[in-house]
Amino acid sequence: MEAADAAAGGEAGGADNARDGQGGQEGQEGQGGGLGRRGHGHGLGGADAEAAVAGEAPRVPRPPHAPGPGGDALSTAGRPETRVHIFALGVPFPSQLEAEIARASFAPYREPYGCLVEQQLTVFGSVLAIRWRAENPFLLRISIINFLDQLCVVIRTMQRFRFPVPAKPALAKGG
Amino acid sequence: MPAVLGFEGSANKIGVGVVRDGAVLANPRRTYVTPPGTGFLPGDTARHHRAVILDLLQEALTEAGLTSQDIDCIAYTKGIAGRLTIEEHTWSLARSEWPAALCYHHYTTTPAPPFTSLTFPSLVFPSVCRILTPISIPLGPGMGAPLVSVAVVARTVAQLWNKPLLGVNHCIGHIEMGRLITGATSPTVLYVSGGNTQVIAYSEHRYRIFGETIDIAVGNCLDRFARVLKISNDPSPGYNIEQMAKRGKKLVELPYTVKGMDVSFSGILSFIEDVAQRMLATGECTPEDLCFSLQETVFAMLVEITERAMAHCGSQEALIVGGVGCNLRLQEMMETMCQERGARLFATDERFCIDNGAMIAQAGWEMFRAGHRTPLSDSGITQRYRTDEVEVTWRD
Repeated sequence: MEAADAAAGGEAGGADNARDGQGGQEGQEGQGGGLGRRGHGHGLGGADAEAAVAGEAPRVPRPPHAPGPGGDALSTAGRPETRVHIFALGVPFPSQLEAEIARASFAPYREPYGCLVEQQLTVFGSVLAIRWRAENPFLLRISIINFLDQLCVVIRTMQRFRFPVPAKPALAKGG
Repeated sequence: MPAVLGFEGSANKIGVGVVRDGAVLANPRRTYVTPPGTGFLPGDTARHHRAVILDLLQEALTEAGLTSQDIDCIAYTKGIAGRLTIEEHTWSLARSEWPAALCYHHYTTTPAPPFTSLTFPSLVFPSVCRILTPISIPLGPGMGAPLVSVAVVARTVAQLWNKPLLGVNHCIGHIEMGRLITGATSPTVLYVSGGNTQVIAYSEHRYRIFGETIDIAVGNCLDRFARVLKISNDPSPGYNIEQMAKRGKKLVELPYTVKGMDVSFSGILSFIEDVAQRMLATGECTPEDLCFSLQETVFAMLVEITERAMAHCGSQEALIVGGVGCNLRLQEMMETMCQERGARLFATDERFCIDNGAMIAQAGWEMFRAGHRTPLSDSGITQRYRTDEVEVTWRD
């Protein structure tokens, strides 16, 4: 199976996490001097490293939910970011017919958390393409695992009871 | 002479059966058995089913002596019955066009007399309908994952072999297999299993639900009690409870909960779970006594509501289906009631009482001949598939 490009972020395979994508790009741009600093404060950046070298306590950025000097956590907490996780998968089949059979075997399947996890199945040539979209990575992971389990059964069924029987042409009247 | 292949896997049993013209050509089955003290979870059960289903399919075809080309239709379990809230149940009765008599509910607060001397009140109550305090009740046991695992295979082979697909109601499968095997013509049906407890009668192209459990199924009550005593699940907890009950000598008084046409088992289960350890520790009774007492109590409740339904319908036949229907003590109690009423009791053995593929194939055979088909786009499974939702077009 090949992992197709994720729609957002354009990275091949795997889940596209918006935060990591941005952090990676910023890191590559090399903000600040010295050791460089990641956009979201992962690990020690340049200024903190210099402080540690100088024997001072590293300055740790205050988490957004921590109360400020006024003691009111709500007033300092920011709105949690809404991140969309997208996962895409491409499954090649020997023929378009079998890819269509696999797609139709899954088509009526309703996600238990249908409002939270979107799943789309499409056939491109002989490849069955599946795309998931969810805000909750836990539910996304469950959906992917369940799908792969069912896909395994479908493929084994095809291998064991294979050779689709083409539809018989309608007999002509009097024939 | 259509031959139908049926897939069943809604609970911990998975079966593939082949039926042609009333003859069961094959009916292999596997059971997912968990360690004592535990039940079966949807994910683990689905994993078990996925591991064995293709071998079962091959076994069924070989046993039937058929190839894929000999099969005319693929049937699978589309869903199992779910329990409604009280409001939905009352509305369902009103919509089902039964006489207004069925809107009558009363609560039995005192222990009911033994069913042999039951005084049967008149059921003709025009428009008397007590609106009950709304209580939300959980839906059915919810084995969605196993249902999906089996349905996916059914859809795949239907496409591979270019055969029509039929989604079958699990309860209808039990009823049609019971009618086929026993020859009962129009019985009052007691459907009792780990997931469902219903009293059903046929009228005007529907299997109408007269009464049912308002919480857990009777089989679920027995299975969960078996976990309390760490009774083995092999071959099934209910079977082992039955064997232990034969050695019971003392009847422990348990809550008896019949509510009109309905029954309730959750209170009995809570009670017996609570007192079991204490009574066993003090030596007041033995595990065999508890098994005996539980069976006597819940089975008496079932016999009562079945007799009530038979009296209402004027029925002279009773049919027990479902896994709990294998219980010989239940059959004995029902037989006593039927004899007193001059009625006949029908029951099957464990091959067809317990969930199996042939029952789905048989119901599918009836539906196929009547012209039913399930398009792929509508072949999803459902955990809320009421018995009376199916239009029974294959019966007069």
